[in-house]
Amino acid sequence: MFEQLVDKLPVGIGIVDESFNVVYLNEFFLDRFPHELRNDYKQKPITSLFDGQEKFLKRRLKSVFVLQHPSFSYWEQRPHIFPFKSSRPITGEETQMYQNMEILPIKDKASGDKFACIFLQDVTAQASYFRAQQKLSEALKKEHAAQQKLIRKLDKAQSQLIQAEKMASTGQLAAGIAHEINNPIGFVAANLDTLGQYATHLTAICNGVYDHLNNFSEEMKEQLEALFNTHHYDLLKEDIGELIDESTDGLTRVKDIVQNLKSFSLQTAEGIQTIEVCGLCDQLISLISAQYGKPQYKLDCANDKVEIMGDPGPLKQALMNVMVNAAQAIEDKGFIKLSVIDKGDTVAFKILDSGCGIASNNLKRVFEPFFTTKPEGQGQGLGLSVAYTAIEKHQGHISISSKEGKGTVVEITIPKQITATVQTEDEKTALNE
Amino acid sequence: MSTVFPLDEEQRDALQELLNISMGQAANSLAQLIETKIDISIPKISAVTPTQLYSLLFETDNAFYTRQSFLGDVHGEVMSVLSRNGLTEVASLMDYDEPLSKEDIQEIILELCNILAGACLAGLSEQLELSTNLNMPTLFQPDKDNFDELQWQHSLVMEVQFAVTVSSFSMRVVFCLDDASLKRMKNTLDELLE
Repeated sequence: MFEQLVDKLPVGIGIVDESFNVVYLNEFFLDRFPHELRNDYKQKPITSLFDGQEKFLKRRLKSVFVLQHPSFSYWEQRPHIFPFKSSRPITGEETQMYQNMEILPIKDKASGDKFACIFLQDVTAQASYFRAQQKLSEALKKEHAAQQKLIRKLDKAQSQLIQAEKMASTGQLAAGIAHEINNPIGFVAANLDTLGQYATHLTAICNGVYDHLNNFSEEMKEQLEALFNTHHYDLLKEDIGELIDESTDGLTRVKDIVQNLKSFSLQTAEGIQTIEVCGLCDQLISLISAQYGKPQYKLDCANDKVEIMGDPGPLKQALMNVMVNAAQAIEDKGFIKLSVIDKGDTVAFKILDSGCGIASNNLKRVFEPFFTTKPEGQGQGLGLSVAYTAIEKHQGHISISSKEGKGTVVEITIPKQITATVQTEDEKTALNE
Repeated sequence: MSTVFPLDEEQRDALQELLNISMGQAANSLAQLIETKIDISIPKISAVTPTQLYSLLFETDNAFYTRQSFLGDVHGEVMSVLSRNGLTEVASLMDYDEPLSKEDIQEIILELCNILAGACLAGLSEQLELSTNLNMPTLFQPDKDNFDELQWQHSLVMEVQFAVTVSSFSMRVVFCLDDASLKRMKNTLDELLE
């Protein structure tokens, strides 16, 4: 009865002697045996009956006999010790049985002979469940990562929106002011021009009188001379032209600034078009130098004209933000060099400044929205993130390297032609979701 | 450790002696199996709090951890700390082929601690005439917070270190007993001392 019970147990039980020869195998083993071996297995080494794991089985059996201590093996590390088929041969997706094995030392009480008892558990169901769980958890992890990415994208989109709104209102304001200033500048310029002509006429009249002084009577001559002297005619004559010229120059500068202000306001949604970047950079420098006078500016364009396809508004904004940062990094003396390098399919802008530089721990955060080292109220920390977004939109890339106390180099590379954007589609979906 | 020590002087000396013998046997078993010389430290007996146990065991750099519980006349757990260094040499002594896969390494670790913990426990049980059965070992990744929240106050720990002479491999085995088992062991020690 006991033997029947052991035979019917749902675990594999096998007993081997010290030379690893099979003494007993229960039905669990026999059922899974090749048919021709079913009646011919006793007194054969167990390691020869089952291929594949001979070395491992020998090692474990030796350990059990030597140490007289149980040995364990798990499916996780060694899934298939015996070449048995899965318990679900028709419907299951596992083709080989996953096994846990335990080998116990036993002793024949009568003879004192040592044996090893092999317990084999079919854990295919657990293993496949566990693996399914693992797959699930991996899938979840992946999904989680994807969601995180989306969230980051949303964050970015939101900060871009905030910035865009800010820029739009600032742009509107700038455009409004520019328009208001333009009108008075117009008539001041016209008047000044006329005034210049009048001044020329006036000096001509006075000069004529002065030249003919000797033709007047003595009394008249004295009176006229006194008049010229009292009003410092010599000085007047010399200064008046210069004053008017200087004023005209100043007015031209005011006009330039207003013009730049207008073209830099984001109001003009121009879309993708041809941009001549050398002229753009020149314009940019004159605009920045009006605001930040201390640094020396240098523009370095290898060619007279470099043309790219792009959206002028964001592109200008990006360059502007980088340039403003460079200008603000220079406290007293220093230089800013803007180089435009034509690389064939791409154009590189290199902005080099000899300013205060960026600490290395801040360097990787500079493109983060709202990251700033400026005192509260003086910077929103959006400049470079806006630049980054704009450059990304142009399928270019922006990189920055800096040494504290030495200066900073920002390099922006943009393809001359924008190919159909997949990214924009992505962003659209991100926003819609 | 000034806390109430669960064993008196005589019991402690007796246990120390028993440990010396059983750990020596364990080292011999391992030496026999992998055919190399094994160095063994003098076993240490102490009482620890959960937090102390954590720092005793799991603040070792570059190590693998396992645990294995035992039942029978006494109940408890064996925890092992195995160095990553020198594991490949031990693997080749154990007849594993290089390169070792992740699964091979796990199997070697589990087998090593099964052999050592089993031998130590078998020796100790034999000396104390207690019967014990060791369950299968598992890999263990302890979390300090969980340790700080464990319910027990103090535990008796028996610690011993094995080192393979020809390689940089070393391994620490720590036995912990639960309260009821500690009582039973104290009684057994007293019986032996009489």
